[in-house]
Amino acid sequence: MADKAFLFDTSRCSGCHACQIACKVWNELPSTLELNGNKWSGSHQNPPDVNGTTRLIMLYNEMENPAYTTTGEVSAQLATKRVKWAFGRRACQHCTDAPCSNICPAGAIFVDAETGLVTTDDSKCIGCQYCSAACPFEVPQYDEGTAVGTIQKCTGCVDRVHNGMKPACVSTCQPEALDFGDRDEMIKKAYERLEMLKARGYSDAMVYGEKEMGGLHVIQVLKYGAAAHGAVENPKVSPAVALAGVTKPLTGVVFPLCIVGFGVMTALAAGYKRDTLVYNTDTKDTIILETGEVAKTGTRPADTRGWTDAVFENLPFMAANRKKKGGE
Amino acid sequence: MTSHWCDFQNTDYILHCGSNSSENHPISSKWLNKAHERGAKWIVVDPRYTRTAELADIYCPIRSGTDIAFYGGMYHYIFENLIEPNLADYLKTGKRCDVYNFEYLLNYTNATYILDPEFEFDPETGLFSGFDPENEVYSNHSWHYETEEEIPWTEEQYPWAYKDNVPKFKKPTFEKPKRSMDLSHPRCVYQQMKKHYSRYDLDTVCSICGMDKDNLELVYKTYCESAAPDKTGMILYALGQTQHTYGAQNTRAMSVMQLLLGNIGIPGGGVNALRGEPNVQGATDMGMMVNEHPAYLKWANTTDRKSLAAWLESQTYSAGYYSNKPKFIVSSLKEWFGKNATLENDFGYDWWPKVPSTVGAQDWTHISTFELMDQGVIKGYFNWGMNPCHSAPNAAHVRRSMANLDWLVVADQVETESAGFWHAPDMNPKEIATEVYFLPCALIYEKPGTILNSGRWLQWRYEAVAPYDEAKTDLWMVDQIFTAVRDLYEAEGGANPEPITKAKWDYYVNGEISFYPVTWALNGYRVKTSTFEGNGGKGFKANGLDESGNIHCQLTPGQWGDGRTVVGAEKKGSLSEGKVDLLPGYADLAADGSTACAMWIYSGYYNNSEYPLNPAEQPVGRRILNDEEHGGLGLNPEWAFSWPSNRRILYNRNASDVNGQPWNEAKKLNRWDAKAKKWEIVDVNDFVATKTEADGTVTQVAPDPKNPNSFFMLWEQRARLESYGMADGPFPEFFEPFESPMDRNILNGSLHNPVAFGMSGASKYDSAKLDAVTGEEHDLKDFPIVATTYSVTEHWQTGGQSRSCPALLEAMPTQFVEMSYELAEELGIQNNDDVKVSSRRASVVVKALVTRRFAPFMVDGKVQHQVGLTHHFGFTHEFGQGDVVNDLTPNVGDPNSFTPEYKAFMVKIEKAHEGGVH
Amino acid sequence: MELTRRGFFKGIGAAFAATMAFEMTAAAPALAAEVSGDWKLVNTEERSNICCYCAGGCGSLCSVRDGELIHLEGDPDHPINKGGLCPKGAAMFQLRNVVDPKTREIIKNPDRRTKPMVRRPYSTEWEEISWEDAIKEIARKVKDTRDATFVEKEEVNGEMLTVNRCEGIASLGGSQENSEEEYLILKAMRAFGIVGIDNQARV
Repeated sequence: MADKAFLFDTSRCSGCHACQIACKVWNELPSTLELNGNKWSGSHQNPPDVNGTTRLIMLYNEMENPAYTTTGEVSAQLATKRVKWAFGRRACQHCTDAPCSNICPAGAIFVDAETGLVTTDDSKCIGCQYCSAACPFEVPQYDEGTAVGTIQKCTGCVDRVHNGMKPACVSTCQPEALDFGDRDEMIKKAYERLEMLKARGYSDAMVYGEKEMGGLHVIQVLKYGAAAHGAVENPKVSPAVALAGVTKPLTGVVFPLCIVGFGVMTALAAGYKRDTLVYNTDTKDTIILETGEVAKTGTRPADTRGWTDAVFENLPFMAANRKKKGGE
Repeated sequence: MTSHWCDFQNTDYILHCGSNSSENHPISSKWLNKAHERGAKWIVVDPRYTRTAELADIYCPIRSGTDIAFYGGMYHYIFENLIEPNLADYLKTGKRCDVYNFEYLLNYTNATYILDPEFEFDPETGLFSGFDPENEVYSNHSWHYETEEEIPWTEEQYPWAYKDNVPKFKKPTFEKPKRSMDLSHPRCVYQQMKKHYSRYDLDTVCSICGMDKDNLELVYKTYCESAAPDKTGMILYALGQTQHTYGAQNTRAMSVMQLLLGNIGIPGGGVNALRGEPNVQGATDMGMMVNEHPAYLKWANTTDRKSLAAWLESQTYSAGYYSNKPKFIVSSLKEWFGKNATLENDFGYDWWPKVPSTVGAQDWTHISTFELMDQGVIKGYFNWGMNPCHSAPNAAHVRRSMANLDWLVVADQVETESAGFWHAPDMNPKEIATEVYFLPCALIYEKPGTILNSGRWLQWRYEAVAPYDEAKTDLWMVDQIFTAVRDLYEAEGGANPEPITKAKWDYYVNGEISFYPVTWALNGYRVKTSTFEGNGGKGFKANGLDESGNIHCQLTPGQWGDGRTVVGAEKKGSLSEGKVDLLPGYADLAADGSTACAMWIYSGYYNNSEYPLNPAEQPVGRRILNDEEHGGLGLNPEWAFSWPSNRRILYNRNASDVNGQPWNEAKKLNRWDAKAKKWEIVDVNDFVATKTEADGTVTQVAPDPKNPNSFFMLWEQRARLESYGMADGPFPEFFEPFESPMDRNILNGSLHNPVAFGMSGASKYDSAKLDAVTGEEHDLKDFPIVATTYSVTEHWQTGGQSRSCPALLEAMPTQFVEMSYELAEELGIQNNDDVKVSSRRASVVVKALVTRRFAPFMVDGKVQHQVGLTHHFGFTHEFGQGDVVNDLTPNVGDPNSFTPEYKAFMVKIEKAHEGGVH
Repeated sequence: MELTRRGFFKGIGAAFAATMAFEMTAAAPALAAEVSGDWKLVNTEERSNICCYCAGGCGSLCSVRDGELIHLEGDPDHPINKGGLCPKGAAMFQLRNVVDPKTREIIKNPDRRTKPMVRRPYSTEWEEISWEDAIKEIARKVKDTRDATFVEKEEVNGEMLTVNRCEGIASLGGSQENSEEEYLILKAMRAFGIVGIDNQARV
């Protein structure tokens, strides 16, 4: 079977949250039953980030429209909009070179041979969370609510795909902003949409996912450009993941040894962000990987600035409310 | 909707006004995106930048409540820029104009009709002719047409009406209106309109609506391109238009706009009300309202409908399809009272309760019922899946009124705010004597039945699982209550028992109340050959039903996924005892009691007498996807059923010109083939295409270019740009809302609609002006900010269902007030602060959402702030609670529809110091 | 690959039957979707329904096994929504069943009320009541209120009219019910003589 991919066209998206809900319902992921147990994020983006029981969230980013004008220019339709409201999708990108799968010591995250989607087997997860650290998108989240804490992330609904259905988020999408099919075909469609958007005046529009991380299995048409929709520009594999190649074969043999091995890796990987910085938890230094230069010394707070913060920066009131990376 | 969801894909121009359909009717986004990608231009007019606005091309902000100024300005634009520059040339040459459809205007609307000489409008007072200052109501006498000739009915024309066994009534006379075919007569509708809207120029409209002139002109210019004969535009609206003290005039205003642009009855056109409840279309059709009777007939009253004869005389149209109304009402009475309905007793008409209708009589609609509870008149109250303690305007006042009830029955799936009103935070249960019964109801997938969507499609719901625990269907509940009351009257007597004991009530299969016999009643049946009231009134019998009394229907495994699915594939579902002879459609209805039918417009939806217990064998249960064979316009004629007569687009004669040729081949719904002398029908014709001769032969009726009669549900058979049927004027005229930041109306001398409901005449109530708790009257000047309410896509209405779903609460955990950065700064408010929002009636605490999507308006030269509140939370439910936002909204409304004004009122906002929201 | 379930069923034929046999021997119902685990919709029956929110009329498919709802999603054949459902529609399953965050078991939605209840005058509590008693008490109240407030005839413009009006009772709602239910609610209420009838269409 050819590789499959999701296609997400932000220009067709109405930001309705149905994908997020359908994901929870199909995958039987809980939401709190406590009275008013959900804290409001201060915007439409709730919960504020993916978490141990939420594998997919919609992103909402409000910006001024520089083209907005109240005088003249009646022919420029988009100039009537004083605001740009960019909707985004935050979930697993299903990398071809998937660091989470490469680093997983238990074989709980793996690439589905038929589709190329990066899927999970909860029964194998040991809860080590290396995948979280390895992911350039900060996607896998620890779910401590299960008997053995497990990692939650989008599985690509491979169970549905293998049974002839589209992933739950795709099936439910009313505006048909989401599509699913052969990756080549999704890329082709994405470029067709791009052309249409450019013609409509969306000069920053772009296709995302074709080449990143060896090619993602989520292809996105981003109406206002990558940053606006919360897409990570130039994602890179963490060097820690490379170490996994060494330690991983040990996992099946000597489990305690493995723990030690991954302890070292954690030190390298925990603070890693997809730019070329590495954070060392022991020295508390932030190192520029290519040059070995210390960008920030341990005397200053660690750089835990994630891509989500970059998005939240555009929501001034929200940035102040975010206590830590990854939201709550 | 005059059209339907799948038809959105066919439009060339989309105008959202008073609707945020991508959020509140998310299915619309699928079809609008298709149109958009075909090249349609998309305009959103809304006070704030919505999720729909993000999808659109053009966004134009508007101050809440000023829509009629916006539409009036568009008429003015059309007259000035499209009609006047081209009219003379069209009249001279008769040549089709590229930018404006003159044939539509002249032949399909009443633009040419000459109005009564006494008709006038006075901008100084804001009053139309006919105002009665004593009672504060209008008489519509001067709003009618001038008559050219009176043509009485003849027996030859309407033979059925003259038969002996048809109730006697004075037959109508057709008053043929005088016309001005070149639109030159100063009193013709077109000239009167042109004069009326001459005040609505761009600058005036902008000043009222708070719009930017260039932006407004772009909106008008773009949308009016749909006036080209081969183009269509569609207006999508919802409660943002209807919930005003002139809401019905807003609806008229949109219809008039669509008629002026020639956009009704054509694919991709229409006046499309996006209705807000799953079966509100059904409930509207059912006439579950004070003055309504099922299927758009009028209920009995104490004046022009005081007897059956009076009903027939006042309601039967002198021409057009509604000349058949006697058949509809008699068949309805026959279904209602069965064998007790006879020619001699007017088919039981007098057993129906009569609504008071003399001038100044008590009103009984929604808002008034709470005043009547307050006065101690209404003592008992049923709430069927509706939650007025949350959804009614001035809800705190509603809760206080309901505390006067002796008893309340609530049928619902959760404890609604109405069921629990006695323990609301502002109530003391120890002082409330009301006995409250909560009846747990089945969920929608725990029962079968028919549901209608906004596009008038009747679709069948199969029971998927049995109701959980002790939950029951509403059908079961109402049967239990009705029969228990009837038994009491039969045993004890009491106030006239006959309306109860004479009603036919035998909707049983195997002795159990059943949905199926009710479908037969709605579809209609021949009385003689059906056995209702047989079997000692115990109903019908059948074999092979499951525990819930249904045929085991499921989608055949392996067959769903390709559209050819058969439900309940085997031929089954016949009766073992009893018989029903279902009518094929409403053409077979009679006015002599030989047919029974509760809903003439549904006739044909459930008409297979062979398998009456199997919805899959009925038009309502069809699942055949063959749209491509029917023009590929999304008509889907063999999927379910659309009323009337499976017609998918209403008024579809208008899709072709006077000679029956489509304006645009790609949007063809019918065509007259002059060679073959035959109509080619794509969508079921909404006009007379054939005639059945006395001997049964069917002949084709060629189009009459002089009388295309393309709106044949009206007696004049032309659509009304001017209408004598409204309570508040024949043309939509702009007024400020009940609560407005303005102290003058820029367009006329009356600040408010002079006959608005709850503010004038017999309906004048003070409660909207008073603090619900203290009874104090606050000064409106202390509430400087315009407010409106709306929904978010993650929640629904009072939250009765959506607050019950944990995933929805997680996606939208709270309610908020949206405001601009400018206002937030003025008030010292930060995003996510708890803020107190107060109106003259009450206060609520909600979260602040500070956003660029709202901006201040420039109104009449001054800065005016507006905010919007979501309204889905309340004081009951296990997972999510909050204040009741409708405590803020005023209980005043529209004089035609009595719909409350939720969408424009005045508030003040301050930081909340204690309590706060969760 | 043809992305329809039909394709799947037809395509694998006997293999499907074998899989089913395998699945049915599986001990525990699958909570989380897994490639190797149980297929969630094994051996379910699909019944079509229509969404309970806005008046879009979107089709839904309810997957049922052993009389219990296993899953609900958009009906892929439905010409309006083609398998799609909005956030509220996509959450319709939760109206009946929800996941308990503590145990991760599927439980009945605790927000729903499934027994008749009555709140007595001046009481601060609900109490349970049997259906039989509830109906009996309601019928008595309807009759007493009707008898006390009924207007059989009244003079209108100098003429005595039969009006058969019960002024002491009002009825609200109907847009949540199916049409057959609406008709019987309307018929019962009008038969009692109620003119104060309204529903969601009014607002």
